[in-house]
Amino acid sequence: MGRDLVTLVLTVVELLRQLMERQALRRIDEGDLTDDQTDEIGTTLMMLDQRMGELCEQHGVRLEDLNLDLGPLGSLLPRD
Amino acid sequence: MSQGEEEQGLMTERGTGTSEANAVYAFAVCHTEGDPDVERLTGVTRDEPVRCLRIGSLTAIVQTVRGSDFTDEVWQKRLTDEAELERYARAHHSVVSAVASQFPTVPLPLATLYNGDERAALSLAGESARFRAALTRIAHHAEWGVKVYVPVARSAGDDPSDERPASAATRTRPATGAGRAYLERKRNLHSRREQRQADSLRVADAVDADVSRLATESRRLRPHGGGAGDDRRVQVLNATYLVAGHRAAELDLLVAELRRRTGAHIEVSGPWVPYSFVGEV
Repeated sequence: MGRDLVTLVLTVVELLRQLMERQALRRIDEGDLTDDQTDEIGTTLMMLDQRMGELCEQHGVRLEDLNLDLGPLGSLLPRD
Repeated sequence: MSQGEEEQGLMTERGTGTSEANAVYAFAVCHTEGDPDVERLTGVTRDEPVRCLRIGSLTAIVQTVRGSDFTDEVWQKRLTDEAELERYARAHHSVVSAVASQFPTVPLPLATLYNGDERAALSLAGESARFRAALTRIAHHAEWGVKVYVPVARSAGDDPSDERPASAATRTRPATGAGRAYLERKRNLHSRREQRQADSLRVADAVDADVSRLATESRRLRPHGGGAGDDRRVQVLNATYLVAGHRAAELDLLVAELRRRTGAHIEVSGPWVPYSFVGEV
């Protein structure tokens, strides 16, 4: 079971991280964040991103592998 | 696909302790004056020959098979065995293609089974209106598949290595402004991706619209996801078209022109027996 579960958990975490990132960009667009807040949020997200990369490396999973095929709905995370 | 379910139903219906008895496997229904030549066809078993079964003015191409080889249970297991499934699909397809090369033919779904000749004749006769309509629709037509691919863009800034420090040890709180710069990079990434998706959709729609104009009927299928890992392209259109025989040459020219105009990689396959255009409309 191990590997599948790790991949699933990392996928969910990455989904949440990406959602937060999008939300942050939206709030910046709406202009209700100060420069300092923007920088703070950006830094937090950047470090989360780094942490994700490290976790993937530790578990031998590639970032591209973190995805779910939702059939006719497409994929859970955007593919390039 | 109500048709598939129907056949599936027939398969279950047969299951009244008759698994030892013989069943009739049906490949296709065609419209002929005489009988199509099926002598050299093997079908799905070597035990019995492929033969014709008259159904009014239509002819079904059938083969007697051991019922025990085609119970729901056996077939379910077969669906999970890729090699075995491929063997059956190829056997089925080779009979369908051989008959279709002689007469207008409606292919039946894989594993269409009946409990003997009488049941097959009765059941297929009940669907004869649909077969006739389909035969009219596909006469002098062939199915062509069109797949459009665009390369996976791998742009600068997309490369994780320029965002992530080489090792965890170097990870300290980044300098002021780094967070804002990171978000800016992400914003560019998002908008580039959206741009790319919009471009892909435009190419797919343009190809589909042009080929549809030439086709009698068309059907868009769900694009297959990008291949695993090393496949550096994304399928943006997976469609199939019913094209009249005399327009097949035009299709070639059109696709060549579309390749030039869009720069996309366009794959054409065919002519196929029009499997996708024989169901209910």
